[in-house]
Amino acid sequence: MTEIEKQLDLAQEIISATQEVFSSMLMIDVTGEDISASGRSVIQSNMTSMIGLGGGVRGMLAVHCPAEVAKAITGGFLGMEVEELDEDVKDAIGEIANMVAGNLKIAYANGGVNVELAIPTSVIGKSFRLSGIGGAIRHYVSFQLESGPFWVELMYVLS
Amino acid sequence: MGKNVLLVDDSSTMRKIIGRSLRQAGIDFDNIFEAGDGLEALAVLEKEKVDIVLSDINMPNMDGISFLREKAGRANMKNIPVLMISTETGDDIIGEAKSLGAVGAIKKPFTPDKVNEVLGPLL
Repeated sequence: MTEIEKQLDLAQEIISATQEVFSSMLMIDVTGEDISASGRSVIQSNMTSMIGLGGGVRGMLAVHCPAEVAKAITGGFLGMEVEELDEDVKDAIGEIANMVAGNLKIAYANGGVNVELAIPTSVIGKSFRLSGIGGAIRHYVSFQLESGPFWVELMYVLS
Repeated sequence: MGKNVLLVDDSSTMRKIIGRSLRQAGIDFDNIFEAGDGLEALAVLEKEKVDIVLSDINMPNMDGISFLREKAGRANMKNIPVLMISTETGDDIIGEAKSLGAVGAIKKPFTPDKVNEVLGPLL
Protein backbone atom coordinates (compact mmCIF):
# COMPACT_ATOMS: atom_id res chain seq x y z
CA MET A 1 0.00 0.00 0.00
CA THR A 2 1.32 3.45 -0.93
CA GLU A 3 1.69 6.28 1.59
CA ILE A 4 -1.20 8.16 0.04
CA GLU A 5 -3.43 5.08 0.40
CA LYS A 6 -2.44 4.83 4.06
CA GLN A 7 -3.20 8.50 4.68
CA LEU A 8 -6.42 8.85 2.71
CA ASP A 9 -9.58 6.75 2.43
CA LEU A 10 -10.07 7.56 -1.25
CA ALA A 11 -13.23 5.45 -1.60
CA GLN A 12 -14.78 7.43 1.24
CA GLU A 13 -13.58 10.67 -0.38
CA ILE A 14 -15.38 9.62 -3.59
CA ILE A 15 -18.54 8.85 -1.61
CA SER A 16 -18.46 12.20 0.23
CA ALA A 17 -17.70 14.19 -2.92
CA THR A 18 -20.48 12.50 -4.93
CA GLN A 19 -22.97 12.95 -2.12
CA GLU A 20 -22.10 16.66 -1.96
CA VAL A 21 -22.65 17.06 -5.71
CA PHE A 22 -26.07 15.40 -5.60
CA SER A 23 -27.27 17.09 -2.40
CA SER A 24 -26.09 20.58 -3.44
CA MET A 25 -27.13 20.60 -7.06
CA LEU A 26 -29.97 18.09 -7.33
CA MET A 27 -31.32 18.08 -3.76
CA ILE A 28 -31.01 14.28 -3.80
CA ASP A 29 -29.43 12.11 -1.11
CA VAL A 30 -27.44 9.19 -2.51
CA THR A 31 -25.74 6.35 -0.69
CA GLY A 32 -22.43 4.96 -1.82
CA GLU A 33 -20.75 1.61 -1.31
CA ASP A 34 -17.10 0.76 -1.83
CA ILE A 35 -17.13 -2.19 -4.23
CA SER A 36 -13.42 -2.17 -5.04
CA ALA A 37 -13.23 -5.86 -4.17
CA SER A 38 -15.74 -6.88 -6.89
CA GLY A 39 -14.57 -4.05 -9.14
CA ARG A 40 -15.14 -3.54 -12.81
CA SER A 41 -17.21 -6.70 -13.37
CA VAL A 42 -20.42 -5.26 -11.93
CA ILE A 43 -20.37 -2.01 -13.93
CA GLN A 44 -22.91 -1.75 -16.75
CA SER A 45 -22.40 1.53 -18.55
CA ASN A 46 -23.88 3.12 -21.66
CA MET A 47 -22.40 6.50 -20.80
CA THR A 48 -19.01 7.13 -19.25
CA SER A 49 -17.43 10.50 -18.53
CA MET A 50 -13.73 10.56 -17.71
CA ILE A 51 -11.43 13.23 -16.42
CA GLY A 52 -7.68 12.82 -16.63
CA LEU A 53 -5.50 13.31 -13.57
CA GLY A 54 -1.96 14.65 -13.89
CA GLY A 55 0.73 16.26 -11.79
CA GLY A 56 1.60 14.13 -8.77
CA VAL A 57 -0.49 11.24 -10.08
CA ARG A 58 -1.29 9.81 -13.51
CA GLY A 59 -4.73 8.35 -13.99
CA MET A 60 -8.38 9.14 -14.40
CA LEU A 61 -11.67 9.43 -12.60
CA ALA A 62 -14.70 8.05 -14.45
CA VAL A 63 -18.45 8.18 -13.87
CA HIS A 64 -20.26 5.19 -15.43
CA CYS A 65 -24.05 5.29 -15.99
CA PRO A 66 -26.67 3.09 -17.62
CA ALA A 67 -28.64 5.12 -20.17
CA GLU A 68 -31.75 5.61 -18.02
CA VAL A 69 -29.71 6.85 -15.07
CA ALA A 70 -27.67 9.24 -17.21
CA LYS A 71 -30.88 10.68 -18.67
CA ALA A 72 -32.51 10.98 -15.23
CA ILE A 73 -29.49 12.80 -13.76
CA THR A 74 -29.36 15.17 -16.73
CA GLY A 75 -33.09 15.80 -16.49
CA GLY A 76 -32.64 16.71 -12.84
CA PHE A 77 -29.89 19.17 -13.70
CA LEU A 78 -31.83 20.80 -16.53
CA GLY A 79 -35.30 20.63 -15.00
CA MET A 80 -36.74 18.84 -18.02
CA GLU A 81 -37.32 15.33 -19.36
CA VAL A 82 -34.37 13.98 -21.37
CA GLU A 83 -35.16 11.32 -23.96
CA GLU A 84 -31.82 10.65 -25.69
CA LEU A 85 -28.17 10.21 -24.79
CA ASP A 86 -27.25 13.51 -26.41
CA GLU A 87 -24.77 16.34 -25.92
CA ASP A 88 -26.62 17.57 -22.82
CA VAL A 89 -26.19 14.15 -21.19
CA LYS A 90 -22.47 13.99 -22.01
CA ASP A 91 -22.08 17.50 -20.67
CA ALA A 92 -24.00 16.85 -17.44
CA ILE A 93 -22.25 13.59 -16.54
CA GLY A 94 -18.93 15.24 -17.44
CA GLU A 95 -19.67 17.98 -14.94
CA ILE A 96 -20.32 15.39 -12.22
CA ALA A 97 -16.93 13.83 -13.01
CA ASN A 98 -15.37 17.29 -12.91
CA MET A 99 -16.85 18.18 -9.51
CA VAL A 100 -16.03 14.83 -7.91
CA ALA A 101 -12.48 15.06 -9.26
CA GLY A 102 -12.23 18.61 -7.91
CA ASN A 103 -13.01 17.35 -4.42
CA LEU A 104 -10.52 14.49 -4.84
CA LYS A 105 -7.89 17.04 -5.84
CA ILE A 106 -8.40 18.72 -2.46
CA ALA A 107 -8.13 15.32 -0.70
CA TYR A 108 -4.90 14.51 -2.53
CA ALA A 109 -3.55 17.97 -1.62
CA ASN A 110 -4.28 17.19 2.03
CA GLY A 111 -2.11 14.10 1.55
CA GLY A 112 0.69 16.20 0.09
CA VAL A 113 0.08 15.30 -3.56
CA ASN A 114 -0.62 18.05 -6.12
CA VAL A 115 -3.08 16.89 -8.79
CA GLU A 116 -3.96 18.65 -12.05
CA LEU A 117 -7.33 18.05 -13.73
CA ALA A 118 -7.98 17.76 -17.47
CA ILE A 119 -11.19 18.65 -19.32
CA PRO A 120 -13.86 15.88 -19.15
CA THR A 121 -14.28 13.44 -22.06
CA SER A 122 -17.44 11.36 -22.54
CA VAL A 123 -18.13 8.07 -24.30
CA ILE A 124 -21.53 6.68 -25.29
CA GLY A 125 -21.95 3.05 -26.36
CA LYS A 126 -23.34 -0.38 -25.63
CA SER A 127 -20.24 -2.41 -25.01
CA PHE A 128 -16.95 -0.76 -24.24
CA ARG A 129 -14.16 -1.21 -21.76
CA LEU A 130 -11.67 1.29 -20.38
CA SER A 131 -8.09 0.11 -20.35
CA GLY A 132 -5.95 1.43 -17.59
CA ILE A 133 -2.38 2.00 -16.65
CA GLY A 134 -0.51 -1.14 -15.67
CA GLY A 135 -0.09 -1.46 -11.93
CA ALA A 136 -2.62 1.27 -11.22
CA ILE A 137 -4.44 1.51 -7.89
CA ARG A 138 -8.18 1.23 -8.53
CA HIS A 139 -11.19 2.20 -6.47
CA TYR A 140 -14.79 1.46 -7.47
CA VAL A 141 -17.80 2.96 -5.69
CA SER A 142 -21.43 2.10 -6.43
CA PHE A 143 -24.28 4.59 -5.95
CA GLN A 144 -28.00 4.03 -6.08
CA LEU A 145 -30.65 6.40 -7.43
CA GLU A 146 -34.37 5.83 -7.93
CA SER A 147 -33.68 5.38 -11.65
CA GLY A 148 -30.93 2.81 -11.03
CA PRO A 149 -27.27 2.48 -10.10
CA PHE A 150 -24.24 4.38 -11.27
CA TRP A 151 -20.56 3.97 -10.49
CA VAL A 152 -17.49 6.12 -9.90
CA GLU A 153 -14.07 4.65 -10.72
CA LEU A 154 -10.70 6.07 -9.71
CA MET A 155 -7.54 4.66 -11.25
CA TYR A 156 -4.11 6.14 -10.64
CA VAL A 157 -0.39 5.65 -10.19
CA LEU A 158 1.86 8.05 -8.37
CA SER A 159 4.12 10.00 -10.73
CA MET B 1 -31.73 50.25 -15.30
CA GLY B 2 -31.35 46.55 -14.38
CA LYS B 3 -28.14 44.60 -14.29
CA ASN B 4 -26.66 42.13 -16.74
CA VAL B 5 -24.50 39.09 -15.98
CA LEU B 6 -22.19 37.01 -18.17
CA LEU B 7 -21.82 33.29 -17.37
CA VAL B 8 -18.59 31.74 -18.68
CA ASP B 9 -18.33 27.94 -18.55
CA ASP B 10 -17.56 25.32 -21.18
CA SER B 11 -20.44 23.24 -19.83
CA SER B 12 -23.83 24.42 -21.12
CA THR B 13 -25.40 22.36 -18.33
CA MET B 14 -23.41 24.25 -15.72
CA ARG B 15 -24.40 27.59 -17.27
CA LYS B 16 -28.06 26.55 -16.97
CA ILE B 17 -27.54 25.42 -13.36
CA ILE B 18 -25.89 28.72 -12.44
CA GLY B 19 -28.71 30.66 -14.12
CA ARG B 20 -31.28 28.63 -12.19
CA SER B 21 -29.36 29.11 -8.94
CA LEU B 22 -29.42 32.88 -9.48
CA ARG B 23 -33.19 32.79 -9.83
CA GLN B 24 -33.58 30.47 -6.82
CA ALA B 25 -31.38 32.85 -4.81
CA GLY B 26 -33.72 35.69 -5.72
CA ILE B 27 -31.07 37.50 -7.77
CA ASP B 28 -32.70 38.98 -10.85
CA PHE B 29 -30.74 40.10 -13.89
CA ASP B 30 -32.25 41.82 -16.91
CA ASN B 31 -30.02 39.81 -19.23
CA ILE B 32 -28.02 36.63 -18.72
CA PHE B 33 -25.34 36.36 -21.43
CA GLU B 34 -23.41 33.09 -21.91
CA ALA B 35 -19.95 32.19 -23.20
CA GLY B 36 -18.25 28.80 -23.55
CA ASP B 37 -14.68 29.97 -22.92
CA GLY B 38 -12.58 33.06 -22.32
CA LEU B 39 -12.41 34.01 -25.97
CA GLU B 40 -16.17 34.01 -26.31
CA ALA B 41 -16.44 35.96 -23.05
CA LEU B 42 -14.15 38.71 -24.35
CA ALA B 43 -16.29 38.96 -27.49
CA VAL B 44 -19.45 39.37 -25.39
CA LEU B 45 -17.80 42.04 -23.22
CA GLU B 46 -16.75 43.95 -26.35
CA LYS B 47 -20.33 44.42 -27.48
CA GLU B 48 -22.65 44.09 -24.46
CA LYS B 49 -23.08 46.04 -21.24
CA VAL B 50 -22.19 43.54 -18.50
CA ASP B 51 -22.20 44.37 -14.79
CA ILE B 52 -20.57 41.21 -13.44
CA VAL B 53 -18.99 38.04 -14.85
CA LEU B 54 -19.23 34.58 -13.26
CA SER B 55 -16.43 32.46 -14.75
CA ASP B 56 -15.11 28.92 -14.60
CA ILE B 57 -11.32 28.38 -14.59
CA ASN B 58 -10.72 25.10 -16.47
CA MET B 59 -11.96 25.71 -20.02
CA PRO B 60 -10.65 24.91 -23.52
CA ASN B 61 -9.31 27.57 -25.92
CA MET B 62 -8.89 30.25 -23.24
CA ASP B 63 -9.13 29.34 -19.56
CA GLY B 64 -10.38 31.57 -16.76
CA ILE B 65 -6.93 32.77 -15.71
CA SER B 66 -5.97 33.76 -19.27
CA PHE B 67 -9.35 35.45 -19.64
CA LEU B 68 -8.69 37.55 -16.52
CA ARG B 69 -5.23 38.48 -17.80
CA GLU B 70 -6.53 39.50 -21.24
CA LYS B 71 -9.50 41.40 -19.77
CA ALA B 72 -7.22 43.34 -17.40
CA GLY B 73 -5.38 44.71 -20.43
CA ARG B 74 -8.48 46.09 -22.12
CA ALA B 75 -9.52 49.54 -20.83
CA ASN B 76 -13.17 49.12 -21.81
CA MET B 77 -13.70 46.06 -19.62
CA LYS B 78 -10.94 45.92 -17.01
CA ASN B 79 -13.20 47.26 -14.24
CA ILE B 80 -16.02 44.74 -14.71
CA PRO B 81 -15.90 42.45 -11.64
CA VAL B 82 -15.34 38.72 -12.15
CA LEU B 83 -16.38 36.05 -9.65
CA MET B 84 -14.81 32.63 -10.22
CA ILE B 85 -17.07 29.53 -10.01
CA SER B 86 -14.88 26.46 -10.25
CA THR B 87 -13.82 23.11 -8.88
CA GLU B 88 -10.39 24.74 -8.62
CA THR B 89 -10.29 26.40 -5.21
CA GLY B 90 -6.66 25.94 -4.17
CA ASP B 91 -5.00 28.98 -2.61
CA ASP B 92 -2.49 29.21 -5.44
CA ILE B 93 -4.91 29.39 -8.34
CA ILE B 94 -7.48 31.54 -6.53
CA GLY B 95 -4.64 33.79 -5.39
CA GLU B 96 -3.53 34.14 -9.01
CA ALA B 97 -7.11 34.87 -10.08
CA LYS B 98 -7.45 37.56 -7.41
CA SER B 99 -4.12 39.10 -8.41
CA LEU B 100 -5.59 39.45 -11.90
CA GLY B 101 -8.74 41.15 -10.63
CA ALA B 102 -11.15 38.38 -9.56
CA VAL B 103 -13.31 39.57 -6.68
CA GLY B 104 -13.95 36.16 -5.12
CA ALA B 105 -14.64 32.49 -5.74
CA ILE B 106 -17.40 29.93 -5.31
CA LYS B 107 -16.53 26.24 -5.21
CA LYS B 108 -18.46 23.74 -7.33
CA PRO B 109 -20.71 22.11 -6.28
CA PHE B 110 -22.65 25.02 -4.79
CA THR B 111 -26.12 25.79 -3.46
CA PRO B 112 -28.29 28.81 -4.35
CA ASP B 113 -27.72 30.04 -0.80
CA LYS B 114 -23.96 30.02 -1.36
CA VAL B 115 -24.36 31.95 -4.60
CA ASN B 116 -26.49 34.53 -2.80
CA GLU B 117 -24.03 34.79 0.09
CA VAL B 118 -21.05 35.54 -2.16
CA LEU B 119 -22.67 37.34 -5.10
CA GLY B 120 -25.28 39.37 -3.22
CA PRO B 121 -22.84 41.85 -1.62
CA LEU B 122 -21.16 42.46 -4.99
CA LEU B 123 -24.34 43.78 -6.65
